[in-house]
Amino acid sequence: MSETTISAPGERGETLQVLRRALAATGPLLVLLLLIGILWVLSPPFRSPTSLMLLGLEAAAIGVVAAGQTFVILTGGIDLSVEAMVSFAGVTAAILIAGTNVAGGQIAFGISDWQAVLIALTAGLSIGMFQGLIITGMNMNPLIVTLGFRSMLLGVSLVWTRGAGINIQKGPFLNFVTSTIDLFGLRVPMPFVIVLVIYFLLWIVLKHTKFGRYTYAIGGNETATRLSGINVDRVKVFIYGISGLLAAVGGILVMSRLQSGAYQNGTNMTLISVAAVVIGGTALSGGIGGIWGTLIGVFIIRVVEAGLVYMSVPSNAKEIVIGAIIVLAVALDVIRRGDVKWLRFNRLRT
Amino acid sequence: MIKSKSLKRFNQIVRRSDVLVNVDFSVLLATKTTMQTRESTRVDAAPNRADDTALLQMRGIVKTFPGVQALKAVDFDVRRGEVHALVGENGAGKSTLMKILSGVYQADAGEIIFKGEPVRFRTPRQAQDAGIVTIYQELNQVPYLSVTENIFLGSEWERGGLLDWQGMHQEARRLLAKLHLDIDPRVPVNSLGVGRQQMVEVAKALHHKADLIIMDEPTSSLSVREIDDLFAIIAELKAEGVAIIYISHHLEETFAIADRTSILRDGRRITTQPASELTVERLIQLMVGRDLAEQFPKEIAPRGKEMLRVEGLRRAGKLHDISFSAYAGEILGIAGLVGAGRTELVRAIFGADPIDSGRIYVEGKEVRIRSPRDAARHGIALLTEDRKTQGLVLLMSVRDNMTLAALGRLTRGLFTNARQEQAIADSFIENLAIKTPSQQQLVMNLSGGNQQKIVLAKWMATNPKVLIFDEPTRGIDVGAKVEIYRLMNELARRGVAILMISSELPEVLGMSDRIMVIHEGRVAGFLNRDEASQERIMELATGMAAAEIERSKLFEASVA
Repeated sequence: MSETTISAPGERGETLQVLRRALAATGPLLVLLLLIGILWVLSPPFRSPTSLMLLGLEAAAIGVVAAGQTFVILTGGIDLSVEAMVSFAGVTAAILIAGTNVAGGQIAFGISDWQAVLIALTAGLSIGMFQGLIITGMNMNPLIVTLGFRSMLLGVSLVWTRGAGINIQKGPFLNFVTSTIDLFGLRVPMPFVIVLVIYFLLWIVLKHTKFGRYTYAIGGNETATRLSGINVDRVKVFIYGISGLLAAVGGILVMSRLQSGAYQNGTNMTLISVAAVVIGGTALSGGIGGIWGTLIGVFIIRVVEAGLVYMSVPSNAKEIVIGAIIVLAVALDVIRRGDVKWLRFNRLRT
Repeated sequence: MIKSKSLKRFNQIVRRSDVLVNVDFSVLLATKTTMQTRESTRVDAAPNRADDTALLQMRGIVKTFPGVQALKAVDFDVRRGEVHALVGENGAGKSTLMKILSGVYQADAGEIIFKGEPVRFRTPRQAQDAGIVTIYQELNQVPYLSVTENIFLGSEWERGGLLDWQGMHQEARRLLAKLHLDIDPRVPVNSLGVGRQQMVEVAKALHHKADLIIMDEPTSSLSVREIDDLFAIIAELKAEGVAIIYISHHLEETFAIADRTSILRDGRRITTQPASELTVERLIQLMVGRDLAEQFPKEIAPRGKEMLRVEGLRRAGKLHDISFSAYAGEILGIAGLVGAGRTELVRAIFGADPIDSGRIYVEGKEVRIRSPRDAARHGIALLTEDRKTQGLVLLMSVRDNMTLAALGRLTRGLFTNARQEQAIADSFIENLAIKTPSQQQLVMNLSGGNQQKIVLAKWMATNPKVLIFDEPTRGIDVGAKVEIYRLMNELARRGVAILMISSELPEVLGMSDRIMVIHEGRVAGFLNRDEASQERIMELATGMAAAEIERSKLFEASVA
């Protein structure tokens, strides 16, 4: 009877599993440290505090966006609209602050920056939730819905700006957002602090709330979760809402740093966010993963990019490397699942 | 000698089966046997004779999955031109053994000798090339492709770099003609009935010049007529020297066509005997390995108040005016043929499927149920028939699965209460005797019985008033079944009303206080425990008159 045979293979499986989980958890971190180490040795300019600060700043906006993407991917979905949302939120806030319409034409109102930001974030949340409503209510594929919204949001941004950036003067709120905190002589950029706070809150949500548990459960087995009496649709609507909101936060961070709301603000962020999530150990099929891995994934990508700069690789070649990383990340995901026959040794799941 | 005798019987049955409806008679016959002798369960220790006619020999096959040893040193052999039946309960290891033979799984230990040479198939393709073709229960066909394309899938004929359509159609026609099938090979397979699709699979096996065809439950979705045809073709294949491994739950079929029968139980081969030397009673005894009283430890709990009342439940095409009540302390068995609407009924009550009309009362109060969430809130729980796809989140831990349905009550303010969750998981692991290394173990690594207990724990944590089991012991080994039955007793004693759907009539008869029989979406009748019998249930389930059932007892007639 299998009941009695469970202990022997089970226990061995258990220790193996703990080992594999530890590897899955620390693997990306080790890669990141390795990359930093290599860059540290090879490139003296990288060792300056400024370049570290810059790294934190570079990671901020995409970090927030990728955090939202993590939630969506954990449920087994995907949000391709995030880069458009980054642009859209930035453009919206910029227009409201500058009181500038298309091509510099002055319109009647310019409102204070915190109000503008609040409106942009609300828009991000509502548009995200609206996508969630369409996906769950009409049982549509998130890939298509969010791809459609990507186009629409980019289109709106383009129309509102006529393709040009809308420049703003920062008010007190945005000045605060772009300031730095002095920590043991290291000037830590405020956006990075914001990212850390957001990640900590999201970690609490994933680990210690019903909502977080349901997020994993839906990704693991949506049918079983629904049949356990859980309102799966409502959870998913909020998931897409969170993704929209966080993408909008990312949009504000980009816009405030550039002091300009333009439709290109979010370029490439969808791909990079998905890559960061996958590199960080979250399965594209959902149900497995976590938020901190994503942050590490973001840093891995940013360090590689920085490395290319310090190694004087022409910036045009950057795209090639990023593309390769993304394919590699997905390959990693497949290998982790043990789906590659000739790479069975690397099974982390079973 | 044996061959000609069984062939004669086989033909006799093929003729007789004309008058049959497609009913699972194995279960009908199962409880006729009282099975009190236990000496019969000893393992046949005689070594396999390696005779000249051996086509296939599997020796000492071992296969372990996380949490369960599926095969424990199994020996199995097949001779040329033989129909070899492989029987056993769910989870006995039949499928695993066949998957190893067909290259889907690799054995952990043991050897396979096919046509005199040791072989090791790493992919299904390798087995197929060697001459072993499997016809699966769920057909492996590309529905929109033509019959020809399906037959030639993966082995297309080409001429000058282009597909040789003419040649392939011709060959397909020849194969189909050989099977006496009047099918145009150019039509898409999904335009054919299930029976004919099955025949296309046989044609495909012929195309691959199979020496050994594995048929896994080939008749499960066939009509009587089609079963007839299939048996006739099996007889012809036999005559041409093709060997067939025949897996079926319909025991009478194995008597009809098998030369020899092997019985697996709990990952061991119990015995292999000429089919002519076996009886159904003996077969069941060998399969189950224990007698009925031991198998169903039923305790009668006092019947309490009405917990669930369903009135006039309808769903177009599925459910017609279904009304019944279930009481505290009662196990209400729900019997019926596959497709009669049993699962649809409980899914409708649970809010998983929409209903057109009908009222549901819990403890006398009418409730509106539009989603599983509503049902759970009103104290109704459903253990679905398919644990893995509908009951569990395999990638989550034992503890997280157990608290999933009750999590709403386990939160303090915004946050989940880890300590309370731990305590609940601990108590269930202990009380339900769940074998798991820890609460953190992923449920995918546990055996079927333990997984089912976890689904049960998930619902027990919500303190349900009505607990619905859909095929509660499917795919669970014998020992774990008994434990599940004991838990059902325990729950009934605590005043829960239990609804139990089961396709295994012995289980329905063994555990139910009352049995509701469903026939084509309608309640065909209720039977009390003391008046219920297999015959009465089948009568209601098929809408057949008793006399007809008597007449159609295929097996008894055939062995007499």
